[in-house]
Amino acid sequence: MMQSFPLNLRRSIIWLGRLVLAAIFIYAGYAKIFLPTMHPRPPVALALSFFAMQVDSYQMLPPWGVNFVAHTLPFAEIALGLLLLLGWRLRIWASLATLIMLGFFVVVVRSYALGLSINCGCFANPEPLTIKTVFRDGLLLALSLAMTVLAFLEARSPHPWSEKSYRT
Amino acid sequence: MLRLRLMPAIILSVVLGLAASLALTAAPPQAKSAAAEVDPHKAFGSKSAPVTMEVFSDFQCPACRTLYMTIWRQLLDDYVSTGKVYLIHRDFPLPMHAHSRVAAQYASAAARLGKYEQVERVLFENQDSWAASGDIDGTVAKVLTPAQMVKVRALVKGGALDEAIEKDIALGHFYNVSQTPTTVFFANGQTYPYGGVMSYDILRQFLNQLLNQK
Repeated sequence: MMQSFPLNLRRSIIWLGRLVLAAIFIYAGYAKIFLPTMHPRPPVALALSFFAMQVDSYQMLPPWGVNFVAHTLPFAEIALGLLLLLGWRLRIWASLATLIMLGFFVVVVRSYALGLSINCGCFANPEPLTIKTVFRDGLLLALSLAMTVLAFLEARSPHPWSEKSYRT
Repeated sequence: MLRLRLMPAIILSVVLGLAASLALTAAPPQAKSAAAEVDPHKAFGSKSAPVTMEVFSDFQCPACRTLYMTIWRQLLDDYVSTGKVYLIHRDFPLPMHAHSRVAAQYASAAARLGKYEQVERVLFENQDSWAASGDIDGTVAKVLTPAQMVKVRALVKGGALDEAIEKDIALGHFYNVSQTPTTVFFANGQTYPYGGVMSYDILRQFLNQLLNQK
């Protein structure tokens, strides 16, 4: 009986990971492109060049690398968030989300360890990069990792609502 | 199966819709008064420039030194002297830096004599030495005449400069400044607070976008 229940712990964690990470990725990308707290909204090109300054503050990339990240990351975040929501090819997008979260975590830990007085730039607001940022990114990385591992495990067993399981 | 997979999408759509409506109704950060209460000796360029940059800085902060040493001269040459940017220095001495408030007092005193640029430069260029020794007076004396130093010391001892520094700090708190350097850009009624050091190429790109905004 338990096996036929669609929301066991494993699926709940996958579900939670998809929901939370998708929301965060979509909002983070949207905030970087549209700066929603500003009225009137600045043009997208201006918002992206402001985000480029925030990427630059991490002092890790040359100007062309800063511009590449600033002009692609927000759109990639929105796309990834939508793909996580849809759940299509979940293992691929969950793995990519985990890699991106790992990248964010490494960058944030490095900047915190170096004592850089910068803003996180995560949601395009003037939020200082503090130990809270490190913990938040660590938690999100853990959630993303759990979602990915469980998505791979889940793929090994048929879903109770799938046609295959009804037949057996 | 499909219904279960799409459930997060449905829930998230509702949550994001609510969040978006809250964001749209939230009070935007207001530009207090970019050019109000400015010490003219610590501001550079034209007040009518389309972009105003207020830099909240601490003379003892290494990142502030980096910002000054790497972009200041080019910024003054390319944007300030051409009337595109009005640049304002704001003192934001951090409590963790033992000598930064005294350094700010000396710089403010020198500003009253029209010698701010020289004192700012010597303080940043010799930051390591006076930060270790606390000899700000000796450092400033390198670029001022003995007569000017007498006036500067009198102003510092008089305590009148603290009020201006406190006003700068209060303004910083208004903008949620918690670290130095923090640069607040103003253009077209919008406020862009930015914490940290930036490279000149990326700053130039942002300033050009601000200047091209219609």
